[in-house]
Amino acid sequence: MSTPSGFDELIHPATRLSVVALLAATEWADFPFLRDSLSLSDSALSKQLHTLEEAEYLEIRKEGGGRKRRTKVRLTSRGRSAFEGHVAALRAIVEGAGPAAAPAHRTESRAWPEPAAATGAGQQQHAEAGR
Amino acid sequence: MSTPVNAEQAWQDLQRIRVPQERVYDEIERCAESDAGATYTTAGIMWVFLAVSGLDLPGWAFGLVLAAYVAVLGSLAVIYNRRTRMRLHRSRHSWRSVAAFFAGMAVTAVTILASGLLVDRLALPYGSLIRATVSAGAFVLFIGPANRWAVGSLRDRGTSDLRKGAGR
Repeated sequence: MSTPSGFDELIHPATRLSVVALLAATEWADFPFLRDSLSLSDSALSKQLHTLEEAEYLEIRKEGGGRKRRTKVRLTSRGRSAFEGHVAALRAIVEGAGPAAAPAHRTESRAWPEPAAATGAGQQQHAEAGR
Repeated sequence: MSTPVNAEQAWQDLQRIRVPQERVYDEIERCAESDAGATYTTAGIMWVFLAVSGLDLPGWAFGLVLAAYVAVLGSLAVIYNRRTRMRLHRSRHSWRSVAAFFAGMAVTAVTILASGLLVDRLALPYGSLIRATVSAGAFVLFIGPANRWAVGSLRDRGTSDLRKGAGR
């Protein structure tokens, strides 16, 4: 089964997906806000940010000095495009699976209940690693 | 190398995207509810400006007061901007934000003009103080609810696309 175009291996891991999703809703966010919102340690967040920065998905800017030093993180246009493509690919996978992948408990769009344990229903998609 | 992603996992990923974005809107709403200090400070600065500018000042003195007013407001904006932990992406703003901004300007301007006219017509004593107090009061009364109204729709607007994708 082919992977929908736009599926991005780099932002697919859960933590990176959360980081990029949060940044996609912002012009910029500072490091403590990201850390607190995602409940990550400084080192864990820093590691994910540098991985994304190396791929030019985000920019890290340090402002000020001394105790007022501030680190601002901003998604680049490349990162934003990758995120939008990834979301579109995820939707395509869900939609492609048809009603079998839409559990009965998803009756109300605002309810957002946890899905039942994966039953293997739906199509198995494979994402190519190479970007 | 390949990463298997079935529909259930894709759906869970769509949920995972929504959670951090909700944190952004939580922060926006928290700021909107707790920015009473900024509103009162701005109203206070406006009160001083209107009270002083209502005196019979020469042109150069009025210009000086106006420049000081703009400079203080600018400094206030810089201070509050530095305190902000994030800024919402421009694509996530709604027409309500723009409407609240312009409505705030319109209400304040109309109140200043109307209270000035009323004070002149009734020849009230301490006219500039009355005009300043009424205008600053109208600003405080209008800005809080207008801000909450503008912010109220952002969350629905920002997450509706994800709900469409994952909520089916």
